Amino acid sequence: MASQNMDPVAAAAASTAALKGSEGSGSAARGSVSKRLQQELMTLMMSGDKGISAFPESDNLFKWVGTIDGAQGTVYEGLRYRLSLEFPAGYPYQAPRVKFVTPCFHPNVDEQGFICLDILKDKWSALYDVRSILLSIQSLLGEPNNESPLNMAAAELWDDQPAFKAQLHSTFQK
Amino acid sequence: MAAPVNIQTPSKTWELSLYELHRTPQEAIMDGTEVAVSPRSLHSELMCPICLDMLKNTMTTKECLHRFCSDCIVTALRSGNKECPTCRKKLVSRRSLRRDSNFDALISKIYPSRDEYEAHQRRVLERLNRLHNKEALSSSIEEGLRQQARYRSERNHRVKKQTQESDNTTFSGGEDNGDARSHLSHDSAPSHTPNPRGQTPSEAGPSRKRPRASDDGSGPEVDSGSPTPPLRRHNEGPASEIELVFRPHPQLVQAQDYNQTRYVKTTANATVDHLSKYLALRIALEDRGREEEGGEERPADTGEGGEGSSLCNISEKQYTIYIMTRGGQFSTLNGSLTLELVNEKYWKVRKPLELYYAPTKDQQQPPPQQPQKSPAPQREG
Repeated sequence: MASQNMDPVAAAAASTAALKGSEGSGSAARGSVSKRLQQELMTLMMSGDKGISAFPESDNLFKWVGTIDGAQGTVYEGLRYRLSLEFPAGYPYQAPRVKFVTPCFHPNVDEQGFICLDILKDKWSALYDVRSILLSIQSLLGEPNNESPLNMAAAELWDDQPAFKAQLHSTFQK
Repeated sequence: MAAPVNIQTPSKTWELSLYELHRTPQEAIMDGTEVAVSPRSLHSELMCPICLDMLKNTMTTKECLHRFCSDCIVTALRSGNKECPTCRKKLVSRRSLRRDSNFDALISKIYPSRDEYEAHQRRVLERLNRLHNKEALSSSIEEGLRQQARYRSERNHRVKKQTQESDNTTFSGGEDNGDARSHLSHDSAPSHTPNPRGQTPSEAGPSRKRPRASDDGSGPEVDSGSPTPPLRRHNEGPASEIELVFRPHPQLVQAQDYNQTRYVKTTANATVDHLSKYLALRIALEDRGREEEGGEERPADTGEGGEGSSLCNISEKQYTIYIMTRGGQFSTLNGSLTLELVNEKYWKVRKPLELYYAPTKDQQQPPPQQPQKSPAPQREG
């Protein structure tokens, strides 16, 4: 359904179509989405989670920038990644589109920054929010799913952690 | 297959978890005991996890018992997987849900005026919107966090005289949209401003028309799922709170009079006077409620006239607070003591502080001290 690799315009159209008839006017739906995003923003600011953060990019509440710090004890420790999150009009019933802005060498992240993570696709639930997404991606960094790699080279190198780490750090660019 | 005799043996057994095997049902509180629960702790219970708003037309999943707004869960099922958004249990259709009108009733009891609540929410979000440009918002949030931190550290390094900070004292948690009724009106520091008269504690009560959810004896108690656990002292971190059990003085109070055990949770820097005033207000409100119940059911707000005037006389002088010392004696507590100090000085054990109250005798009379041992029958959690 909500594919990560979809053209944003098409995706927005699809999500609107999905909601047609169920929700009232588009603006009302947009209002309730903003409301939820504002609530999330408040909780996120208050929770003070270490290693993740997110904030609307500009005046547009539907596009956020997030950061993730590599978790301690993983090869990603000490690296900070920026991500972009775009919320469809059908949020939270549809997953936001999340991708890495900072290039990320990882078995489940491709060169454009697209992420292969089930909860962003078919395992999405309306209960997930920005916080849980960022935490999930943070833990994905340390525990990739090598069964379905987007980056074959990274997947093959993963088992050799020192080599992976060397490669990761030599190619890391902010 | 070949043994039809065994048809009774179900192929599907109900396996109980360890918890289910060992749990004992919580005893219902039936004796009019009042439990104060902070709105903050209720918030997560009353909130729909999808829209993050207060539940509206609550629907509960039949098998896993998770709650959602009707609109939210219907949309979720239509646009996503056919499973419970909370736990992924299969939800075939709307028929896997049932309407939870009891829960709706509970919410409307706690927040009688949903419009009021929603208007408040809107105001908060609007304010947020106005500040929406990034700098302003982040700086205002930072400012808020800084204030909170300052507030916490103040509470932490609380000076013995609480005069300058009496404005920090809130009863039972401080969420601004919350149940104002359970907040102590803290706008007058009793020991230093001798004018409680002008200060109608209006914010604390009836003008907002919040029916008390727990004291009229009907329906379930508000303490959803935590009849005993509220008695816990939060010692983690600087924002220290004190929980206390508050009983009528066994010798000085007739059994018939407001013989309620009250559970109160408040900040550690509240003083005995604060508590006393809170109590006076509660009792005045209860008396009033009783009078009203005699007549019609909850009449429309009659404004501040008539019986409202009695609330103007609320004062911390009306009730005296006692604590039982080791010898089983009741000793009067000075009004300016903070509860934290009382706790350190007299109580010491890691149990909720237990205090006693009685109407103040005329100032002349010495406090009667009867060295008797048997306090009122105690409910222990």
